[in-house]
Amino acid sequence: MWDKRRSVAVALCAVAVAGCGTGPGASPKEDVGLTVTRDFGHSQVLALDRAQVRGADTVMRVLQRNAMVGTRFGGDFVQEINGVKGGRRAGRPVDWFFYVNGIQADKGATAVDVHGGDRLWWDHHDWGVTPDIPAAVGSFPEPFLHGIDGKRLPVRVECDDPRAGACGAVADKLIALGVPAGRSSLSRSAADESLRVLVGTWQRLRGRDAESDSIDEGPRSSGVYARFDKAGTQLNVLDARGRVAKSLGAGTGFVAATRARDRQPVWFVTGTDEAGVQSAARAFDESVLSNRFALAISNDLPVSVPLSEVP
Amino acid sequence: MSETRRASPLHAARAPVAAAYACALLTAALSFEHPLALFAVAVAIVGAGVLAGAGRSLARAALFGVPFAVMIALVNPLVAREGLNVVLRLGEIGPLGQLDVTRESLVFGAILGLRALLVVLAGGALLAATVNADELLRRFRRISVRSALTAALAVRLVPVLGRDARRLADARRCRADASERPGAAERLQIVRAVVTGAMDRALDVAATLEVRGYAMPAAAGRGRWPRQPWSRHDIAFGASAVALLVLAGGAHLLGIATFHAYPRTVAPVGAGEWLLAVALVVVALLPFADRRGIVP
Repeated sequence: MWDKRRSVAVALCAVAVAGCGTGPGASPKEDVGLTVTRDFGHSQVLALDRAQVRGADTVMRVLQRNAMVGTRFGGDFVQEINGVKGGRRAGRPVDWFFYVNGIQADKGATAVDVHGGDRLWWDHHDWGVTPDIPAAVGSFPEPFLHGIDGKRLPVRVECDDPRAGACGAVADKLIALGVPAGRSSLSRSAADESLRVLVGTWQRLRGRDAESDSIDEGPRSSGVYARFDKAGTQLNVLDARGRVAKSLGAGTGFVAATRARDRQPVWFVTGTDEAGVQSAARAFDESVLSNRFALAISNDLPVSVPLSEVP
Repeated sequence: MSETRRASPLHAARAPVAAAYACALLTAALSFEHPLALFAVAVAIVGAGVLAGAGRSLARAALFGVPFAVMIALVNPLVAREGLNVVLRLGEIGPLGQLDVTRESLVFGAILGLRALLVVLAGGALLAATVNADELLRRFRRISVRSALTAALAVRLVPVLGRDARRLADARRCRADASERPGAAERLQIVRAVVTGAMDRALDVAATLEVRGYAMPAAAGRGRWPRQPWSRHDIAFGASAVALLVLAGGAHLLGIATFHAYPRTVAPVGAGEWLLAVALVVVALLPFADRRGIVP
């Protein structure tokens, strides 16, 4: 009898741990943000600071509660949001992609749970160059504030010179947002479970880990539509087709994020020189980064990356 | 399941008209997702079956159709990833991923199940129980002799093969080494024997038909099926079939009985929907009102 009761209790616990239950589940305690944009964030379709959420909603259900959505393949794939359809445009493939706290999920929107404070971002863009953009900076201060999959991660600001003004500015910005960010010099660690922000000139950051290597390899590898030249003194900003659209020289700053397989995202606050890094550190702010996949700063003016194509 | 001649207006109608009537009901069942319209079509199909004296056939078909419908209704919530109102969270289930059962997927599953049941009842039971297959194929011969012949042979082949299989199974059981219930290998032997026999028989039938002139052009070999005037039952059921199709098409054109399953179930029920439901039932069952000349 006791064994039977214990078995039932164990089974109930297993069911609870597996996330089973009746009804919609408990709603998140914090607000969930929802942004819908087109062309790599260049034009906004919808922006809600407090999206409607009910119970343990998935990314798909939050979108459907707050926008007109057309789906395909049994509801797993978003085909249309507020009249903007996926498919082909001018012979190029375009579709809807989503990012939770600026990070592309490796699962479909119907399988990703939404947590309190999450920022959901849907963008309709050309994926002819790559369908994989593992991380974007446009949801700042996420993922630092609410983490990934509801789990907040330790944040480490790694600087070429930890005493430099840019390093302090980035760390102070995070601390001011309520993110306890540790500061250290550049490491070659595998980064394990930390979110890292690397601060320094590109000459100093490149070649240190898989993430910087992938940015040097180009957007197909990193999802970042910009590349530094061999000397690291010039930043070539690409357009959505992967073509060089603008070359930026001395004093250029660059803020980008990427993620290597099975690792946590890494952010880069970098530039062609110290002045560029200072510019990037100043741009490390929600008001500047919002809805951008990556950002170049030239003459203190923001340049969205990838660069918008002139029709 | 086959047609049994009964004293009903539907049986009095010629086979193509009766078939068109059953097919119109089938089309109506497939064209609507709105619960009220589907309910009306269900009433029409069951009513037609009962009034045609085919209630038992429909009931027998329902024995197969209901479990089929229930299976569809249960599977849909497990495979559909849509709907906003979660009623059950089943967590991560292997290759299915995260499984949330929503009210919308349950409702749509029930509608899909009901539609499947109606297809079985209208397209299977009603059609088979009220339409004379021989007459239908004879009429169809005018359009395509070979197709009609092939269909006629195929229709007859099913019971013949069934009887062959039973005979062979009986013969096998008479063997000293036979078990009470045949295993997979023994079943395969029976199937092989039946198929081989069917092939041999098909060759014989083909040779016989060729000798009798079936391979010759139509004008040279065979007489025409005598034309018969349209009876009032033919006209009534023909008009009913056309009206059912017009109602189904018209409702779609006018936006009546629209239904959206996802993300929220939207099934407006207004005057238009009620009118459509009543019209579907009346139009489908009205031809049964004329029972003059129908002797029980």
